[in-house]
Amino acid sequence: MRKSLPAIFLTFFKIGAFTIGGAYAMLPLIKREVVEKRQWITDLEFRDGLAAAQSCPGPIAINISVYIGLHLARGWGMLAAVLGTVLPSTITILAIAALFDRYAELAVVRKAFHALKPAVVALIAVPLIQMARQANLGWSNAWVPVVAMFLVGVTGVSPIWLILAMILFAVLQSLWQQRRQS
Amino acid sequence: MIHLTLFLAFAKIGLFSFGGGYAILAMIQQEVVLRYNWLSPSQFADVVAISQMTPGPIAINAATFIGYRQAGVTGSLVATLGVIFPSLLLMLVITLSYLRLRRLAWFQNIFAKLRWLSLGLIGAAMILISRGAFTDWFSVAVFVVCLAVYWRWRSNPLYILLGAAVVGIILG
Repeated sequence: MRKSLPAIFLTFFKIGAFTIGGAYAMLPLIKREVVEKRQWITDLEFRDGLAAAQSCPGPIAINISVYIGLHLARGWGMLAAVLGTVLPSTITILAIAALFDRYAELAVVRKAFHALKPAVVALIAVPLIQMARQANLGWSNAWVPVVAMFLVGVTGVSPIWLILAMILFAVLQSLWQQRRQS
Repeated sequence: MIHLTLFLAFAKIGLFSFGGGYAILAMIQQEVVLRYNWLSPSQFADVVAISQMTPGPIAINAATFIGYRQAGVTGSLVATLGVIFPSLLLMLVITLSYLRLRRLAWFQNIFAKLRWLSLGLIGAAMILISRGAFTDWFSVAVFVVCLAVYWRWRSNPLYILLGAAVVGIILG
C-alpha cells in the first residue's frame, strides 16, 4: 500500500527535529511513529530494516529512512523520508554556522565551549567503555581496537585502510574455515 | 571546484563510516582536519559539541557546518548530499538483497570484525578531540565531573552539555 509523500515527509521531519544526540536517540522514536502509531510497517520489518541499516555504511538514521521510505512508496518515498530526516538538522546547523564566526570570539561563547569540549569527550568515553565491556574482548582480539586507536588517533593513519584490511581479513577467515569444514 | 571537493570528501566519509555515531567521527576528522585542514582540532571539537546539542545525525551536522564555511549555502547542500549519497545507493541494494546476504557466513563475519574496529575508531576520535579539548586544569576537571555524572546517572547528554556550558560561562 502506497502512502502519501507529504505524510512520509512530515513524519520523518518530526522525527528528525525532535531527536538530539544522533541515531541511537532517533531509533526508538522512528519505531514509535512508524510501527506503533501509524502501523506503516510491522515490527519484524522494522527489525530487518534496522539490521540492514546497521550493516550499511553511512549514518544509521539515514539508512533506516531509506529503508522505510522505499517500503512505503518506492523511490519517491525514499526521497521524502530522507529529506524529512535531514532538513531539521540542515536548517539548524545552517543558522548556527551563519552566526558562528560572528559570535565565536565573544568571551561568553568561548567560555561555554571551553567547558563543552571536555564534556563531549566524557560523552564519548562512557558509551565506549560500555561497548568495550559488551564486546566480549579477550587477549585474542582486544589488540584490534587498541592498535586501531593508536594508528588512527596518534599516528594519523586513515580509517579507510583499517576498514579495508578488516573486511579482507574477515572474508579470508570465513573462506578458510569453510574449506577446513568441507 | 571546492564544491566537487566537498562532495567527494563527504561521499568518502559516508562510504567508510560503519557503526554510526561516534565511530564516524574518526573518519570525519581524518578528511576534514588532517587532510583538507577545513577545521583545526579545536574547531572540530566545537562542531562535535554543537552536533550533540542539535537535531540530526552527527555526520549530517558536520557536513552542513563545514560545507557552509567553505562555500556558503550551496557548499552545505553539496556536502550533505555527498554524505548521504552512498547511503542512498547502498541501502537500495542492501534492502533488495539483505535477507539473502545475511545467511552468508563471510558477510556476517565482516560485521563481527568491524565491530572490534569501530571500538578503536571511537577511541581514536576521543584522542583527537581531547587534543582540542584539554587546554588547562579547568577542562580536565569538567571532564572528570561530566564522566562521573554521566556514568552514575546516565542523564540525557543534552543536560550534561547545557550544565557544562553554564559552568564554563560562570567559572571558566
